[in-house]
Amino acid sequence: MLKTLIDALALISTWEVIIAMFAASVYGLVIGSLPGLSATMATALLVPVTFYLSPIAAIATIVAASSMAIFSGDIPGALLRIPGTPASAAYADEAYAMTRKGQAELALGAGVWFSAVGGIAGVLSLMILAPPLAEIALSFSTFEYFWLALLGLMCATLVARSSPVKAIAGMFLGLLVSCIGIENPGGVPRFTFGITDLFGGIEPIPALVGVFAVAQVMRAMLTPEPPPLPRRKFGSIMAGQWKLTKKYHWQMTRGNIVGIIIGVLPGAGADMAAWVSYAMSKRFSKEKEKFGTGHVEGLVEAGASNNASIASGWVPSLLFGIPGDTIAAIAIGVLYMKGLNPGPTLFTEKASSMYAIYLMFIIANILMIPLGIAMIRVAAYILLAPRSTVMPIIMLCCAVGSFAIGNNMFGVVTVAAFGVIGYVMEANGYPVAAMVLGIVMGTMVEQAFVTSLIKSDGSILPFFERPVAAILAAMAIGALLWPVMVWVWRKVKPMQTAAATTR
Amino acid sequence: MRLPDSVTGSFLVVLGAAAAYGGYILPPVPGQPVGPNVFPLVIGTGLALCGLAIVFGIGHSFEEEEELVPLEDGQAAAPPPQSKLYGLRALLPPALLLFYVFAADRLGFIITAAIMVYVTSTALGAKWKLALPLAALSPFAIHLIFGKLLRVPLPAGLLPTPW
Repeated sequence: MLKTLIDALALISTWEVIIAMFAASVYGLVIGSLPGLSATMATALLVPVTFYLSPIAAIATIVAASSMAIFSGDIPGALLRIPGTPASAAYADEAYAMTRKGQAELALGAGVWFSAVGGIAGVLSLMILAPPLAEIALSFSTFEYFWLALLGLMCATLVARSSPVKAIAGMFLGLLVSCIGIENPGGVPRFTFGITDLFGGIEPIPALVGVFAVAQVMRAMLTPEPPPLPRRKFGSIMAGQWKLTKKYHWQMTRGNIVGIIIGVLPGAGADMAAWVSYAMSKRFSKEKEKFGTGHVEGLVEAGASNNASIASGWVPSLLFGIPGDTIAAIAIGVLYMKGLNPGPTLFTEKASSMYAIYLMFIIANILMIPLGIAMIRVAAYILLAPRSTVMPIIMLCCAVGSFAIGNNMFGVVTVAAFGVIGYVMEANGYPVAAMVLGIVMGTMVEQAFVTSLIKSDGSILPFFERPVAAILAAMAIGALLWPVMVWVWRKVKPMQTAAATTR
Repeated sequence: MRLPDSVTGSFLVVLGAAAAYGGYILPPVPGQPVGPNVFPLVIGTGLALCGLAIVFGIGHSFEEEEELVPLEDGQAAAPPPQSKLYGLRALLPPALLLFYVFAADRLGFIITAAIMVYVTSTALGAKWKLALPLAALSPFAIHLIFGKLLRVPLPAGLLPTPW
């Protein structure tokens, strides 16, 4: 183990990795702090850059940018009441109330400090959980993989804050998109309509950039500009954080644990972790009445939780290639591109690379403290940038970045098309994250499904015969059918009460 | 762009049915019980069933209305949309991306990018004093990062960059 650790240290102590990590950290902090630009978008726009980096440097940029962006989403949340990323939305009101009470330093300091602590707790969970799970995963056959992937897709639909039926439809749409191309069991052109550009299928990255970045620019065209930031001078950012850590150590630990569990669940990410932890903090607090008036307790728990989920979200990604959230979905694409194909064997064959990933997470979270403090100090200037200067540059990056993926203009067309699809879906209550997971996991689900069917000679029964497969199947089918069951229950119950009253 | 659930649901039914039919007519793999047709068939059927459920309002009760953040004192509310065509402004970004596809090779990256930046910036309310310098400088900055440092082949067209 010591030798692997030394090898991992050697892998990350190159100038390329150090510079890439530092630059990506600054980039993640800036993008995350701009309202409307999410951590997922920051990561997606970074992918074309990773083409030109070594595998470890490429992963380093993703790790650093995503961790930093999730934290810096708290900055406009606290200062403007506009969450920078959806994960900060859970407690933006609370943080803003603290700012209005003159406690902006305490709110932002808690954001930095507890995010860093949560992030490190998440990495520890990744280090402890992943190897034993990898051993279990080695005994999985395609039947288990199929149900696991389906369960991952279903988790994404269960946690969506919209109609579960619409989320499932979004997931099917994503799977349908993944069917396009000649990469299928027959090797025949499928849904290509004779367009040669479609033979290679739809790449997940331009689709992601389209639904997350272009759709955001489209929404900006119709929504009013956020208010400008009032001038404010900050005192010491970290003052009082140690006192908070001692006072709310149990809330912090609970936030970390909840974040880790939610991160490990495929499909549920930092947004979900923040919402659940904030709600839990309020539910179990001794000072419930203070929530909403500028009380730091919820911030401690939710801040720790969302960053913990970022690292633990890599557990299903690295083990099964099933993304924990949309950021991990992008990371999986980069892992494949760099020859670090996710799977349980990664832990035995590329152990030093795995340790390098752990170390990078720890460094990113330590780096978050000084860089985060610096970011809070310059936030006033960055947040002054009007939307009319940021959005055109984002547009240009979308065009050039999607072209760079394949050196092909078709990438730009894909980005534009998915921008429209993402915009229309979001406007009508269809969660785009479910579709994105469908696109990313489609090929894997189909391979597991068809290989299993070939093995079973077309029979469905073997899908349920192995015990682990049967449990996973029951969970996935339950998740698929529960909206219908709830609907039937709600229809039947009033009828029963009506019959009882007329009797 | 908010459409009634019956419209989006019906669209999904049609799309699902078309996908299932498209899968059904694909040639099978000789000697194998399953081929490229099975997955689209399953997905198409699932999509059509979801569409039907949406048309009948199943799951609608789970939807949470988006919370509107109330405005603080002294913050001016945005003026209401002026005309029915106001919503079409949202189509400007994808239209500009398509413009990039058609114009980049002929005009070159710098000119095409400058036009895109200028149009997007003014559409978002920037005055020409801001939009013009932004359109003049940002394409060079992006070209420096992507074209020079990352070696993405960006077309020179009518105006090559000095590097």
